[in-house]
Amino acid sequence: MNAMEKVAWTELVVSVSAVGVATLLIPWLGNGATGAFGLLGFLGLCVVFVRRRGNRVVVDERDREIEAHATRIGVGVAWMTLFTALIVATLWANYSHANAVSTGFLNWLLWVQFATCYGIKGLVAVLMYRRQQRAA
Amino acid sequence: MPRKMEPTLRNCVRELRTAKAGMTQQELADQVGVTRQTIIALEGGAYTPSLALALRIARVFGKATDDIFQLDESSR
Repeated sequence: MNAMEKVAWTELVVSVSAVGVATLLIPWLGNGATGAFGLLGFLGLCVVFVRRRGNRVVVDERDREIEAHATRIGVGVAWMTLFTALIVATLWANYSHANAVSTGFLNWLLWVQFATCYGIKGLVAVLMYRRQQRAA
Repeated sequence: MPRKMEPTLRNCVRELRTAKAGMTQQELADQVGVTRQTIIALEGGAYTPSLALALRIARVFGKATDDIFQLDESSR
């Protein structure tokens, strides 16, 4: 497993874990469960995988190509998640005559979108690495 | 162009590498500036190298790129 594949797995595992822990904490903490998204800070550990190791190449053109493709898809899915959720929230506020969307909902939306971006990016990168390994 | 319609490349990198005094994948990777995993994917036909990488590989083996990489349009 090369460095960028480890980065992809880390992004996937950290994102899924953050969403999972936040969901599990809802019964006890309610909207305070969004604090679990602090686990996304572990994404910063990815720099450890791409540290320079002598003269050996750590990230090459294939890694950059996979990361670019995964990032495009991850960002695209995250944006569509945001747009869709905002449309649903607007429609709900309109038709339920609530006239307002709670900040708690927006807080959840922002963090879920953030986790979705990195989770999808990691998943796509992992699948691309696996597909190339099987085909090789 | 849809990804599945992109033409693939056939190559003889593995044969040239093993014929060159048993060069390892890591040694070839170090000479052309990529990771060993990229060489594995390239030799297996799972990765299409960039023009620059193809030229560097050709230079290592002292051959023209046409002699190492062939367009395989039958896979479309």
